[in-house]
Amino acid sequence: MKTSVKTAASVLPYLWAAIFIVFVWQMAVIFTQAHVALLPPPLLAAKTFAELVVNGQLFVHAGASLGRVVSAWLLSAAIAIPLGLAMGRWRRFEHLVDPVIELFRPISPLAWIPLAILWFGIGETGKIFIIFIATFFPILLNTVSGVKGVDPVLIRAGQVLGCDNDRALFRKVILPAAMPTIIVGLRISFGTGWAAIIAAELVAAQVGLGYLIADGMEVLRSDLVLVGMVAIGILGVLIDAVFRTVNDRFSWGT
Amino acid sequence: MADHTSQSRGTKGISISELAVTFQSEESEPVEALRPTSLEFEAGEFIALVGPSGCGKSTLLNVLAGFIKPSAGQALVGGETITKPDIDHGMVFQDYALFPWLNVIDNVAFGLERQGMGVEDRHAKAREYLDMVGLKDFADKRVTELSGGMKQRVAIARVFATDPSIILMDEPFGALDALTRRFLQHQLLEIWQRNRKTVVFVTHSVQEAVYLASRVIVMTARPGRVKLDQKIDLPHPRDFSGEEFRRLEKLIYDQLDEELAKSFKLEGGGGTFHD
Repeated sequence: MKTSVKTAASVLPYLWAAIFIVFVWQMAVIFTQAHVALLPPPLLAAKTFAELVVNGQLFVHAGASLGRVVSAWLLSAAIAIPLGLAMGRWRRFEHLVDPVIELFRPISPLAWIPLAILWFGIGETGKIFIIFIATFFPILLNTVSGVKGVDPVLIRAGQVLGCDNDRALFRKVILPAAMPTIIVGLRISFGTGWAAIIAAELVAAQVGLGYLIADGMEVLRSDLVLVGMVAIGILGVLIDAVFRTVNDRFSWGT
Repeated sequence: MADHTSQSRGTKGISISELAVTFQSEESEPVEALRPTSLEFEAGEFIALVGPSGCGKSTLLNVLAGFIKPSAGQALVGGETITKPDIDHGMVFQDYALFPWLNVIDNVAFGLERQGMGVEDRHAKAREYLDMVGLKDFADKRVTELSGGMKQRVAIARVFATDPSIILMDEPFGALDALTRRFLQHQLLEIWQRNRKTVVFVTHSVQEAVYLASRVIVMTARPGRVKLDQKIDLPHPRDFSGEEFRRLEKLIYDQLDEELAKSFKLEGGGGTFHD
C-alpha cells in the first residue's frame, strides 16, 4: 500500500512535465501552422507511437539500441572496474596509466564514429566500440575515486581481522567500501552510453532508435522522428529509475 | 592455526627489545618518533600507555599491530617477531572502524569468517559475544543506526570473538562522552577479567589508565621513551576516590606534567593535553 502511494507520488512530477510538454507542442503547432511533415500535432505522433507499438517495430528498435548499450556497457565495466581498483590502490600503477587515460578522455566518443565505421564497417562491432568508449571513463574514474576514498582505518581493520592478502582485502573490504561510488559510475556511464548510441545509429545502422529518427528525417516523417525521441526519453528515465533503486540498496549511508 | 572450538587459544606475552621508529620523509628532516625502547609485557597483563600527544605511544601500538615496520630492534608476540598485521593480534580503533555495508552481527562475524568458520557457527559465536557486550537485540541492525558507544561495543565484541593472543586498543573510548565511557570501561574490565587477554591500551586519560590497567607506562615527549613503568595492584572494582588510587593518579600526573612542560617548550606552546 505505502509503496504504491510513494511510487505514485514520484511519478506525478513526470506526468505534469509530460502534460506541459504536450501543451507547448500543441500550441506551437497551432501558432506556427507548421507543415505536418515538419511538426506533426501531438495526437498524430501518439497515433504513430501506438501503431509502432502494435506492430512491434518500436520494440525492435528500442531492443536493438538497448542491447548494444547493455553489452558494450558490461564489457566496459568488466575492464574499467578491475583497472580502476588497481589504479586506486597502487599509486605507481596510477602514475603510469593516468596520462594515457587523460589524453583519451577529452575526445568525445562521437569523434570516434568515423574511425569506427572505417575499421568495423556499419555492423554491430563499430557501435559496441563507440559505446565502450562512451561508458569506459565514467566507470573507471568513479572506481578510482571510490577506492581512494576508502577510509584507511577500514583497510587496517580488515588486515587485523584476517585479510592477510590483497585479494581478500579487495574482496572483503575495498570493493564493498567503494561500491556506492562504483554504482554511481555505472549509472552515469549508462546515461552517456545511451546518448552516444543514438548518435552512432544516426550515422550508420539498419535498426535502432537512432536509425528510426534518421530514417524518419529521410522520408520526411517527422512523426517517426518524434516517436523515436519520445521513446529515448521514456527509456532513459526508466533506466535511471532502475539504477536509483540499485543505488539505494548499496548506499549504506555515511 | 585454525582452531574453531570454543576453547580459548589463550594469550601471549609481548617482548619489545631496543625498538626504535624514525619516520623518513622526502620533504623534511627524519622524525624520531620512538627512541630505542625495551619492555616486557607478561601474558594476561593489562597495559596502559599514557603520554603527551606525539609521544610515540600510537607509533608503538602501530608497530605491535604490524602496520609500521620498526627502524631498529624488534617486537615479539609469544616469541615470534611481528612482521605484518595478523588476526591473532586484535585491534580496537578510536573511530570504531566498523564495516558500514555489513550489519552488526556480520561485523562481529567478519574475523570468524576469515578464520574459516561456516555461517551458522560464526553467527552463533557472534551472538554470544554480542550478548557479552549487551547488544544481542541489535544483531540485525545496520551499524549506521548505532550510537558511538554501541559501535565501540560492537568493535570490542568483534575483536574478542576472534580470540586473539593480544588485543591492542588505540584510545578506544576517546570519542565517547563521560558516562558512556565509564560504562564501557566497566564492561571491558569484566570481559578482560573473564578471559585475561594481554591488552595494550593507549589513552590520554590518567584516571582511565589507573582504573583499568595492571601496569601503566608513561612515555616521554617526542622522541618517545619510557619515563615511568608503574604497577597498579589495586583490586577491582577500583574506587576513583580511594587514597591509593589518588596517590597513583598524582604520581603519574606529576611525571606527565614534566613531559608536558618539555613539549610546550619544544613546540613553543603549541602542544595540548587532553584528559
